[in-house]
Amino acid sequence: MTAAESASAATETAPLEGKYVYCIIRNDRSREFGEIGIGSGARVYTVTHKDLSAVVSDTPIVIYDPTRENVLAHEFVNETVMREFTLIPMSFGTIFRSENDVRALLNSTYQAFTDVLDKMQDKIEFGLKILWDRDSVVGAIERDNDEIRRLKDEITRNAASSTYFARMQLGRLVEAAMEEASNRYVNDIHEQLKEVSVASRSSKVIGDRMILNAAFLVERKDEKSFDEKVKAISLQYEELLTFKYTGPWPPYNFVNIKLKLEKAT
Amino acid sequence: MGLLTNILLAPFLGPVWGTRWTLEQVDRVVRDELTDDTPIKEDLMALQLQLEMGEIDDDEYVRREAEIMKRFREVREWREKFGMSTSGGPVRVAESGEPEK
Repeated sequence: MTAAESASAATETAPLEGKYVYCIIRNDRSREFGEIGIGSGARVYTVTHKDLSAVVSDTPIVIYDPTRENVLAHEFVNETVMREFTLIPMSFGTIFRSENDVRALLNSTYQAFTDVLDKMQDKIEFGLKILWDRDSVVGAIERDNDEIRRLKDEITRNAASSTYFARMQLGRLVEAAMEEASNRYVNDIHEQLKEVSVASRSSKVIGDRMILNAAFLVERKDEKSFDEKVKAISLQYEELLTFKYTGPWPPYNFVNIKLKLEKAT
Repeated sequence: MGLLTNILLAPFLGPVWGTRWTLEQVDRVVRDELTDDTPIKEDLMALQLQLEMGEIDDDEYVRREAEIMKRFREVREWREKFGMSTSGGPVRVAESGEPEK
């Protein structure tokens, strides 16, 4: 049985005694967001304390595996809420035992939530992953770098007599040039996106083809300009780089509130 | 689990006075390895990227995702055994002192 199956099986059999929390918003009345919750499309609604609400759905007390299915359900709720509200996303899988426990969270963290909501007001996040095509980049380097081109021609001309040392040297020069190129691309792209974003945060790259894994915080009103800028940059680098551009997201990478939570057994 | 395998399979040699220190080191290293989910998260992200780039199909993704979820659950179990914090599952505000149901 996969994790998703075990979680949905649990949803059918166990009593819905917990509250799965998706995000925190500024809202002082009861709201419904549809039957889109994690598990099997549970009703998504609000639990309110003063002018803050937690967006929740009923769930059995289970540990949700971060499968694609579960993570997408969590994200889909946040996307839906985001159409109307600025939100603080909760980490995946957070469950409280009762509405009162959720209100206790809103009450105890009221000031921090309020401050962050003010700061994030009307801001959204975009993800940008950039991968390069090694062969094209090497090709570009060989075209542009005189020293490398000369050395390569020499090795090709004297294939039989060219030394191991010359090949080693070529390899080293190409490696260095590639690292330099990667830095140059990344700096240029960051520089161009600076005008249309509020902040950026880079994460560790995934795999050996990725040269940038970043999140950008953007004013809602600048969404279109950011979009156009990314498209223009991806055209500029069309032959060398692949762009994976996602969003808008809630500000996952720009909110970091350490919640004082303990296990409720 | 490369490191763990090496440690488990390595012939145990050395003076007796070194035993205690070595066991403590092994204990710490093994524990760190058993309770660290960072490499699992990285594998999951790499898998997602492979799917997005069309390098693997949906069936392959689902199969490998199941393996990764199993590793997540193993790490969670070890963390619980060692009394370390885990993410997800039921929580409450730490100092609220709300009575449990």
